[in-house]
Amino acid sequence: MTFNRILPAAVFLGALIVLFLALPARDPLGRPLPVALALGAAFGIVLQRSRFCFWCNAADWFRDRNPSGLIAILAALAAGAVGHWVIAGAWLPDPSTGRLPPDAHIGPVSLTLAAGAFVFGLGMAVSGSCISAHFYRLGEGAYGSVIALAGAAVGFVLGFLSWNWLWLNDVISARVIWLPAFLGHDGALALTLALIGALWLILRQRGAGASTPAGRWPGVLGGVLIGFIATLAWFRIGPLGVTAELGSLSRTAAVDLGLLPDTLLGLDGLRGCATVVKEALLSRNGVFVVGLVLGAAAAAHAAGDWKPAFPAVRDVPRLFLGGVMLGWGAMVALGCTVGVILSGIMVGALSGWVFAVACLAGAWTGWRLRAVRQSV
Amino acid sequence: MEPFFRSLLAGALALGATVANANDIGPLVTTEWLESNLQNPEVRLIEVSVNPGVYERGHIPGATNVVWHTDLVDPVRRDIASKEQLEGLLRNAGVNQDSTVILYGDTNNWFAAWGAWVLDVYGVENVALLDGGRKLWEAEGRPLATSPAALAAGNIALKEANTDLRALLPDVVAAVDAGDHVIVDIRSPDEFSGKVIAPEGFKETAIRAGHVSGAVNVPWGKAVQEDGRFRSPEELKALYAEAGVDGSKPVITYCRIGERSSHTWYALKKILGYDVRNYDGSWTEYGNAVGVPVTNLAGTVWTGQ
Repeated sequence: MTFNRILPAAVFLGALIVLFLALPARDPLGRPLPVALALGAAFGIVLQRSRFCFWCNAADWFRDRNPSGLIAILAALAAGAVGHWVIAGAWLPDPSTGRLPPDAHIGPVSLTLAAGAFVFGLGMAVSGSCISAHFYRLGEGAYGSVIALAGAAVGFVLGFLSWNWLWLNDVISARVIWLPAFLGHDGALALTLALIGALWLILRQRGAGASTPAGRWPGVLGGVLIGFIATLAWFRIGPLGVTAELGSLSRTAAVDLGLLPDTLLGLDGLRGCATVVKEALLSRNGVFVVGLVLGAAAAAHAAGDWKPAFPAVRDVPRLFLGGVMLGWGAMVALGCTVGVILSGIMVGALSGWVFAVACLAGAWTGWRLRAVRQSV
Repeated sequence: MEPFFRSLLAGALALGATVANANDIGPLVTTEWLESNLQNPEVRLIEVSVNPGVYERGHIPGATNVVWHTDLVDPVRRDIASKEQLEGLLRNAGVNQDSTVILYGDTNNWFAAWGAWVLDVYGVENVALLDGGRKLWEAEGRPLATSPAALAAGNIALKEANTDLRALLPDVVAAVDAGDHVIVDIRSPDEFSGKVIAPEGFKETAIRAGHVSGAVNVPWGKAVQEDGRFRSPEELKALYAEAGVDGSKPVITYCRIGERSSHTWYALKKILGYDVRNYDGSWTEYGNAVGVPVTNLAGTVWTGQ
């Protein structure tokens, strides 16, 4: 490792340490902010080192039938499902009482969820990443991600503007389905692991040779680490998610500009990546995302993946439009690939599976559209 | 003496001492007392926190979780929990007829105090609050647990609700008309004066500003010290006497939804021993009621905003 890698990596690591020591011990709900930063940094390092990017993983499969990226996601889900099962069994010994475990991302299963996830998947294809990967790519110097994330902020506002109609016509009558409420903790884990195992087998059988990109950690290792980080996060901070702060900032700005209706019906009572109007400067999700970006930057520099790149002018509209789709989808679906697929499936929420299927369908549609466009 | 017998004897003595304490502990227990009584089978500990996930991520070992929004109120009709609902809840928490129940929670014990008031309405005896609540327990670095206690079902039987302990809207109006009560508004001075109808950020509000005519304003926070513990009985006595609440007349307490006023109810009724009823309808009922006497010092007019 050369000096010009170590020095910037040390600078980002140093920034993390300074923040860790400077942050207030707790947020207004009593969650430890330094722990949120540390877990965010760990998440960023693992995302960057194992290239855990939902779009790249799906595209590897679409393009080459290379299953290793999708298997990495399955590994994360399996490891996280076991971790969440341990915690949920302790926190809510009887899952059949109609209660849900605290702040777990168990959302209503609705057409809106499926539509949001589909558009999110399209947005991944168009902008080249999901939201979590845009964050870690910032740490690799991909400045185009700034444009996609700005688009996502606008998409959130469009989501808020469409929310009341969606709520009254669809979401209000949707059911919140938590598998352990029907199957018990053990039965739900067994079903989740069986589904993951079946998908794994299908990927192995239908896939071509699995391969990890050069210089990256094996996908399964990255996946298991992400399952571990997700479990620790739920235990101490709250379920894994990367859009709450972005959504809150958009909502707060839009409220201040007078763009939003006075009331977003039912929204603040739903489970998912909460997008409340900001009251405190430091939120646990904001701190988590800052940790993510800094951790990814340190990892990218240390590994020689730091490649500062400005987007070509002709790519700017595509990045922005893709970002708008990501934002709208993540708002109406109450989270993204991290907050709904990872945190939802791990805890036994049907909404997580619905998001995964619809998002993959959207990504595939986007893949086809890009292929058609390139062949013309 | 053999070490085994020595420790057995010490244990028996300690248990005897704490059990004797548990039956006569007064309205408040200290964090120190609670920590030394965590193993005491006579003591049943209940957390009433209003923020989600607080209990699960770390509660005082042995505590049972009670959710204010669904467990202590009727979730459909605006009312306190029914006798059957509360009895089932307490039995699941392992509460026996002769148990000592200690309540504590977040947000300054407001909702724990509401729990103490509801238990009082249903005639539960030997109930105390942990002075300082969660905040003080955490600040002192005392241990927390993350698994709920698995307790054998208790046998407590509740009495019928004693309506004399609760003020309903007609009782409050009658008290205003007769002038034979002291009505204590424990909200902020700005709510009391009518400058604001509800504090920033609260959606449950009223369409009139001000306070119940004749009420006196003693914000709840004046009754606590910096660390969240209640002030001493002498200080409380002086504080309320200054506002004309000296126990010579029966008292009614109210706030916005009835939870912070439970805190003041606790101070006046349980610590000072006055004759006090909590008006749980509070301003969200009174400020919306038609034809009741209101005093609006600031003159704020509700304009539908």
